[in-house]
Amino acid sequence: MSHFALTIIGRDRAGIVSEVTGILYQLGCNIADSSCSILGGQFSMILIISHPKLENQESFREAFLPLEQSGLSVFLRTLRPGGEERPDLEGEICMISVYGADKPGIVYRVAHELGERQINITDLNTKLIGEKNAPVYVMMIEAILNPGVEIADVESWMASLKDEMKVDISVRSITPMEL
Amino acid sequence: MAVKDVLLYPHPALKEVCAPIEHWDETVSRLLRDLVDTMIDAGHSVGVAAPQINDTRRVVVVDVSNSKLGKKQENHGLLQMVNPQIIEREGQTLVREGCMSVPDYTGNVARAERIVVQFQDQSNQLQVIRAAGFEAIAIQHELDHLDGYLFLDRVSSLKTDLFRRK
Repeated sequence: MSHFALTIIGRDRAGIVSEVTGILYQLGCNIADSSCSILGGQFSMILIISHPKLENQESFREAFLPLEQSGLSVFLRTLRPGGEERPDLEGEICMISVYGADKPGIVYRVAHELGERQINITDLNTKLIGEKNAPVYVMMIEAILNPGVEIADVESWMASLKDEMKVDISVRSITPMEL
Repeated sequence: MAVKDVLLYPHPALKEVCAPIEHWDETVSRLLRDLVDTMIDAGHSVGVAAPQINDTRRVVVVDVSNSKLGKKQENHGLLQMVNPQIIEREGQTLVREGCMSVPDYTGNVARAERIVVQFQDQSNQLQVIRAAGFEAIAIQHELDHLDGYLFLDRVSSLKTDLFRRK
């Protein structure tokens, strides 16, 4: 079974999911993990797909042609064996909310604090909200804390950034309640 | 001691509306014991509902006192609940839940912050208790199992709720 990462993006309109999944269904593809959302005015789809026989990207080209002709960008990446498997990430999951008046570097500065400590970001959403003349930047980061790292540690890493960038940052545990 | 296997979705028992217990016999006590044993065996999870061990009667056990989160909050310790019913709900909170019957997936679920729940205990005595915080969430989650609801039926968003609220 070959696995691929498929990315599709284009101006949002009704019917995109139906067209894309119709083609995948006709090809005999399986959709494993996927995440699709509107970003700005663009609908973006990221899918991990597999096919029992098709092994190279050429086999998909013709099938995806109608999508490209309708204005969508289609990108297919062949995964190496095992690339479809989710790693076992152990540790407390924390949500970091960052928000404040828009300015350059908010995402980078926060991500840098985490990256240099080998903290794995597993989800990141940003959005520009508020009035045109007073835009507010909102960022939500989900990260998995390495063993020994506490929520209070993350708070302390963020403390100076908070002052320096004049943004509000809060950190809390969102480790799922296993019931 | 009878530790039972915890059923995984798509086992049909997990989607059944369970039947109330009308006649108290020794099978009820045995079921309660099995539920407690299974809960403890599963790394001391915080609760198990009867349909999760393939018994579709309205029985659950909950005990948050051993969990990292639960022990910090006021709780009732081990609760053995027959025919439980939530009779009051107050407040709303969003929590990320996972379930032993639906491995490898979690979702944000809206739950009441505080509840009043009525049930028959292990001695067939009617009890009415107030629960809050993690214990209240665990009870709501387990009681959902008795109506064939999984947390998947309650998910309000897969990620943060913030961007969906428009």
